[in-house]
Amino acid sequence: MIPDGQTLSYDAAPAFSTPLRFFLTAPLFGAAAGAALLAAPELLDSRWTPGALAVTHLIAVGFMLTVMLGALFQVLPVVAGAVIPRSGPVATVVHVAMTTGALCLAWGLGSGSPAFLVPATVLLGGGLTLFVVAAFLGLRRIPVAQATPRDMRIALLGFAVAVALGITLALALGGRLDLPLLTVLKLHIGWALLGGSGVLLAAASWVVVPMFQITPNYPATLTRFWAMGTGAVLLVWSATVYGELGSAEFALSAALAALCALFAVSTLRLQRQSRRSVPDMTTRAFQLGMGSFIAGLACVLTAQQSEHQVWPLLAGILILHGGFVSVIVGMLYKIVPFLAWLHLTQDVGKAPNMKKLQPDSPIRRHLALHAVALAALLVAALVGNAWLIRLAGLLVVGEFAFLFANILKVLGNYRRAHAA
Amino acid sequence: MSQITSLMTDDHRHCDQTFARAETAAAKGKWDEASAALEQFASELEGHFDTEESFLFPKFEAATGMTEGPTKVMRGEHAEMRSALTRMRDALANKDKDDYAGEAETLLILMQQHNMKEENILYPMCDSQLAGSDVAAGLSERLHARA
Repeated sequence: MIPDGQTLSYDAAPAFSTPLRFFLTAPLFGAAAGAALLAAPELLDSRWTPGALAVTHLIAVGFMLTVMLGALFQVLPVVAGAVIPRSGPVATVVHVAMTTGALCLAWGLGSGSPAFLVPATVLLGGGLTLFVVAAFLGLRRIPVAQATPRDMRIALLGFAVAVALGITLALALGGRLDLPLLTVLKLHIGWALLGGSGVLLAAASWVVVPMFQITPNYPATLTRFWAMGTGAVLLVWSATVYGELGSAEFALSAALAALCALFAVSTLRLQRQSRRSVPDMTTRAFQLGMGSFIAGLACVLTAQQSEHQVWPLLAGILILHGGFVSVIVGMLYKIVPFLAWLHLTQDVGKAPNMKKLQPDSPIRRHLALHAVALAALLVAALVGNAWLIRLAGLLVVGEFAFLFANILKVLGNYRRAHAA
Repeated sequence: MSQITSLMTDDHRHCDQTFARAETAAAKGKWDEASAALEQFASELEGHFDTEESFLFPKFEAATGMTEGPTKVMRGEHAEMRSALTRMRDALANKDKDDYAGEAETLLILMQQHNMKEENILYPMCDSQLAGSDVAAGLSERLHARA
């Protein structure tokens, strides 16, 4: 089947406001996570405090998932030739559902009021289901020829499983289902961070790293088998978690960690072979992200063998803030100015270049602040001092406010050029 | 990866490397070296566009009857990239490092989002529509003739 070639054209691309609304609200959730640390430092006592669960979801759903969905509205037509039907209205509904759902979820978890978890599950479950159905409708006639569009489909399924498990957890927390909470929670984390986010990151990296950082390609066997292999191991791991087969579960966790480390190390090796000698901010963000993933995976495995509360906290900070937030921010700094440039060129015929729309120096300062915030979070979690945790929270608020301001500056430059 | 996709993707990567050489030289203020590398890049880019516009796209259009489809969109994007290249040449002529870096970054993103569409969508369509023809052999001959 031949997809309609016009799906590749500018006219078929979503309006600027479609992805932008996701990119503008996401940093506010990141800042809210920092504000929670600032206001209630005791939430870092363990991963199980209500506040820690709230902060985790402000970052994972409010920031990460929101940006990923906004980017997918833009990227699916480019990398897969798929146009999401009625992308404007669908994006509006998905955006409202995900943001209000993330707020309800964080409030429900943080304040220990299960009443908020019901609207959270309806909104997040409904919003993500609508997106996945719309994306698959767009993809249904598209042949799967390359690794990236294929692995993006796997990631969408991973997210669907993660949200279904999240809804199950919320119902169990609200006393509506009688289930072993720890088992479902482990499955939820595995599918959300690896089956959904991790596979999506890999699918994007297969093209982003070689093309934008001008490196050799990832090894063909890696791009061909990594996502499917990881998905298959994740399924078997899920069975061992469900069946409470302790040693088999640890062996498969180690296998999953090895697969993730293989991806991170391959990415770092490729980046060392980049032909671009000019310092590129996205490359720096990826390097910080991949290093954090490797350190975070070591903490995940240590946490399984140790009773100490600090290992899961360090793992969460390294994987979410050091890993995913870093690479997502790195990609946002390419996507937002390029979209501003593209829409200006199409609307008014000319546009200032990328670095005039988004200069490097504020990005550099923001990434430095992000790295300092990461270090402060790690030290604060290790030491457990309330004032250090408040300081880390303040730095997190600052870094997300900086990101928000940088995106707004691009929009200001866009508006001025549009009006000129 | 099938033949047409593989040949054309390799040519994209080859152009990228020359692009990076020009970018590096310009960032170091080595203007003569940057100018030579940029002209080599321009010639490779134009050669690639020409191979598509005068050989591959007409074959695809004849096989599918689609003249208003993906090939039309790709020709339009080639025109955008030619304009971006002109702006890079202007920045180089003015020995303006910042302007060159900005224009080069713009062309790189424009070029790579274009390449993604070709490598993930159009070339695989060409491979399936032109299977069994001598198009891949013709492409290989053209691309190697100018290497």
